[in-house]
Amino acid sequence: MVSNRIDHKWGMVVDIDKCTGCQACVIACQAENNIPLNTKDTFLQKRVNEWIRIERYWEGEYPNVKARYIPVLCQHCDNAPCEPVCPMYATYHNDQGLNVQVYNRCVGTRYCINNCPYQVRFFNYWHPGWPERLENQLNPDVTVRSRGITEKCTFCVQRLRRAELKVERQSGSRLNDEALEKGNYAPACVHACPTSALTFGDQHDDGAKIRSYFDDVNAHNIHHEHERETRGYRLMEEVNTRPNVIYLKKVDQYPLGKGDGHV
Amino acid sequence: MQEGRVLPAEQVNRDLLRSILETPKWFWPVVGILGLIVLIAAIIIGYMINRGLGITGLNRPIFWGFFITNFVFWIGISHAGVMLSAILRLAKAEWRRPATRAAEVLTIFSLMTAMIMPIIHTGRPWRILYWAFPYDFARGIWPNVRTPLIWDPSAILTYLTSSTLFVLIALIPDFAVLRDRTTGISHRIYGLLAMGWEGNARQWKLQIIAGVLLSALILPVFVSVHSIVSWDFGMAVAAKSWHSTIFAPYFVVGAVHSGVSAVAFVLILLRWMYGWQDYIRHEHIDGLGRLLVVVATGWFYFFVMEVIFGIYGREADEIAVRSLQFIQEPFQAWTIIFIVTTYFIPVALWLTRRARRNLWIMSLACISVNVGMWLERYLIIVPGLANRTAFTFSWNSYVPSAYEAIIVGATFAFVSMLLLLFSRVFPLIPLYDIKEGDILKNESVKIGRRVVPAVFRED
Amino acid sequence: MSSHSESHYPHDMWVFPDAQSTTQDVARKTASTPGILKLGLAIAGVLAILGVVGFVLRMTSDGFSDYGAWGYYAAIFSYIFVITSSAPLVAVAFRLTKSHWRRPISRISELFALVGVVNVILYIPLIYLLPPINNPNFVPGMHGELQIRKTIWMEVPFGAPHLWDFLGIISLAVLSLIILWVSVVPDLAEARSSANGWRSKLYTLLAGHWYGTKKQWIHQKISLALLGALYFMMVVFVHFLIVSDFAMSLIPGWKDSILPPLYTVTGFQSALSIILIIAFTMRKWGGYEKYFGTSVFWSASKIQIGLTLLWTYHLFAFFITLWYGRMELEQNILRYLMFESYSWIFWLNVIFIFLIPFWILVWNPVRKTAWGPALAGIFILVGNLLFQIRIFVGAFNAGDIYHLGLFRVPPPVFPDVWDVFIVLGGIGLVAFIYLIGTRILPALSVWEVKEGAMYQKMGTLYRGEYLVLAKPE
Repeated sequence: MVSNRIDHKWGMVVDIDKCTGCQACVIACQAENNIPLNTKDTFLQKRVNEWIRIERYWEGEYPNVKARYIPVLCQHCDNAPCEPVCPMYATYHNDQGLNVQVYNRCVGTRYCINNCPYQVRFFNYWHPGWPERLENQLNPDVTVRSRGITEKCTFCVQRLRRAELKVERQSGSRLNDEALEKGNYAPACVHACPTSALTFGDQHDDGAKIRSYFDDVNAHNIHHEHERETRGYRLMEEVNTRPNVIYLKKVDQYPLGKGDGHV
Repeated sequence: MQEGRVLPAEQVNRDLLRSILETPKWFWPVVGILGLIVLIAAIIIGYMINRGLGITGLNRPIFWGFFITNFVFWIGISHAGVMLSAILRLAKAEWRRPATRAAEVLTIFSLMTAMIMPIIHTGRPWRILYWAFPYDFARGIWPNVRTPLIWDPSAILTYLTSSTLFVLIALIPDFAVLRDRTTGISHRIYGLLAMGWEGNARQWKLQIIAGVLLSALILPVFVSVHSIVSWDFGMAVAAKSWHSTIFAPYFVVGAVHSGVSAVAFVLILLRWMYGWQDYIRHEHIDGLGRLLVVVATGWFYFFVMEVIFGIYGREADEIAVRSLQFIQEPFQAWTIIFIVTTYFIPVALWLTRRARRNLWIMSLACISVNVGMWLERYLIIVPGLANRTAFTFSWNSYVPSAYEAIIVGATFAFVSMLLLLFSRVFPLIPLYDIKEGDILKNESVKIGRRVVPAVFRED
Repeated sequence: MSSHSESHYPHDMWVFPDAQSTTQDVARKTASTPGILKLGLAIAGVLAILGVVGFVLRMTSDGFSDYGAWGYYAAIFSYIFVITSSAPLVAVAFRLTKSHWRRPISRISELFALVGVVNVILYIPLIYLLPPINNPNFVPGMHGELQIRKTIWMEVPFGAPHLWDFLGIISLAVLSLIILWVSVVPDLAEARSSANGWRSKLYTLLAGHWYGTKKQWIHQKISLALLGALYFMMVVFVHFLIVSDFAMSLIPGWKDSILPPLYTVTGFQSALSIILIIAFTMRKWGGYEKYFGTSVFWSASKIQIGLTLLWTYHLFAFFITLWYGRMELEQNILRYLMFESYSWIFWLNVIFIFLIPFWILVWNPVRKTAWGPALAGIFILVGNLLFQIRIFVGAFNAGDIYHLGLFRVPPPVFPDVWDVFIVLGGIGLVAFIYLIGTRILPALSVWEVKEGAMYQKMGTLYRGEYLVLAKPE
């Protein structure tokens, strides 16, 4: 273990109010992480592999129909239910708050996938293949997973490692929001989002943009959700997974009459 | 309970060893057909390991389907052995005598078959074989003992080892009989297995003590194996209908239910195939039927508890799974079939003495139970995964592929084939148990004008 | 031959009572009340009166509106209910399995039906205490509040749960009394001519129709089998009702499918234990050693140790499922019932129901004695009381039941003087009624013991003497 590694705790804030459902994050993630192509066959086989996906829910009756979008990605739970159930220790929680997947240790029992309440883990049923020229666009920093292996969002850990190498070890300064932005070190989805609905940062960094949201959500427990002053909440809090991803409620200008427009 | 006649020991030997010393005409063709099915399945498994699990019908979010259902099913069948040989021996039920060997052997073969399933259903089976072993092969990383998936092989292998030891020790006197009746290489092998058995008083005493001790010691293993397999599901927190405290005893009682039914069916088959009418009598099937009434009702109680407390909290995600199981097609049809075949038809039959003594009806009832219990595991696993998270966007359905169906069917052929091969080499009805029963039932008690059959009680 | 043959059983393993003297002996024992029995009656009576005092004072000080103060009452009701309703099962179940060792103890177990009547009376205050299913303070939109508290009654059918639970308890009491009556009739018929005074009148009333014809015996056998099977299923069902409505649904967020089986197993275990304690007492001091061989205890102790292990297994299944999932509301349940609020009572519970009885009963020589299972039984009974207190006092004091779950772990509730009176009173009441019952009805099932004596004899096999047991179909 690297002893002089600075203690980060990565987190993400997803602002549903800003999300337009454009799926740029999905494409960026697919490109960055060598995710196999989701073809028509994949959808027909119901085996779509999208480390971040946009879930779309319809509300209301015509003509007052609304579409709700929520990007769902690995929540990197501090209390991850996927971690204790892997027989091979292929998934564990590292010291930066990430839930990491070790591909070469995974035998593909798929218990972790079944135990993920957010359904954000994916299994490679087939050996991945790309049409001939498309192999040139594969990211050399990321493994191409063979079949039989489980995979999921890693918060683009390859970028974070490069960031640590270049920013912290080579130039000695701390990796903060500005450094992440400048070097494109935040996850691909964060950079691709046109409305900046996704924000990434270090929870241990006092000046991080995400910090105020995390502080607020951490200050209140789930039983007083309606007393929160900001829009922040965690997905499926009753399962007590303690995710490192916070969602910000959508503010409905014209609510459909269903409570407070909470997605 | 003592309806048969007491046969001389030589005839007992002759009848029960007939399957070993002579080969029936139908034997090799039947084994050949079963072997062919197993071979086809083995080829398919090879293809699957080569190409990947994509050839199955598994998808997102139903990552466990036919294979895991089959795994749990065969573990269930394996519980027959201990129930019949250990528990009935400790309860001194005389009618267990012809059933014990067949039950124990069914246990061993079904455990072996069950263990194949989780190995082939993983993405990279060649790794799991040695990484699940409790040794840090890969740079100091041991298997994760916190996961039920590691408790599984520990429990199953313990059960397999202890059942095998149980059978081998119980077989020693029979090995000696075979040793004395064969020549050549068979003689040497049986001699090795008989370990110098002479049948003197001291050896018999040790044999009985070993039997009783192993029976008692295997009981905790028997309860824990299926509890641990049930905790594969019970420990999961994301599939709401799985996170129920009752899974452990529910699965164990269900396993006894399906296992004892399977053994009853196997006994009826053996009686027909080998002409063992004097040894597997109606009274034995009758006794099994009565035991099954109690076990089935206990199972039904646990099933009702599971369902009631599933919907007790009226939590939306759990109700979603239950409504898929009980209200929506196609699962509603399967659920109705499952409940009727597992409980109502068999128990209604088993409550009448005429049905219990009719071998055709008993066979059908026992097959019905096992069909229903296979469906039960399927209905726990697949609907539990299909509608499992609160994110309805990911809900999906599962259609098994032909490959999975063939592999599942081949497991039945595999177990049958192994049973037949075993019967060719070792006696499926324990010789000394039958002879002991004959000795112990020589007495009778005169009550008024009736002469009531009686047994000696050694303890 | 017989001079060389030796019985390899302990000398008091099997008994062969003489049919002629059994009836008179048992009738004589039923009619006479020795001094020690009078003392027992007196003590039990005093405790029962204490219990009534405690109940009345509790009623005047707290009334029925706040059910939190009645936790200990519910605990002792549950204790009495689960033991006395499960006790006849020992006779019923082992008659169905045709086990011969149940013969001497079957009447002991059936006599608990007399105490079953008390269940009905003790249940009545609980009807007032059970809160309604609909939340009277429900405000739509308030976080964490439910409109209907979690309950097994789906759409709140008419009268549920008060009416149906009450019907369940009444039906159990009535069924067990019928089973007792059907079983005791041959004995009363035999004794009615020789009994004097009120006993003769009572016996003629209850058993006047019985002449011991073949048809009547067959009728009795079939009735006992059918009623017994029905009773077994009803007991399990009513246990499920009581523990779900009075314990599980009162702790918000406690969803536990194994609690009814665990509760039922606790009941069986304690019922068998108290029967073995009574059997030991009768054998040692009551002069019944001619009828109870140690074979009874040896066989029953296997069931006892099996039930002990089964109890532990169910408890462990409950613990491991809730603990592994790490869900906060479930962890709070564990903290409340096991590890924080009621932790010392929980550990005592485990020690008394599992650890001590297991280490007593695991030794074969101890199981072959009469005192071994009885001693284990005493610990089991104490442990069961602790179990009921933990569950029911915990349930009655868990705070607002109309919430999604236990958001904070409530503190434990210790008994005050009235609670102690109530608990002691319950035990005294059971003992009092039971002892009175043994004066009215014979405590040994004479017809069954005589039937057993017909079926057994000592026979010689090779060089040993063994018991020969007839096995009629």
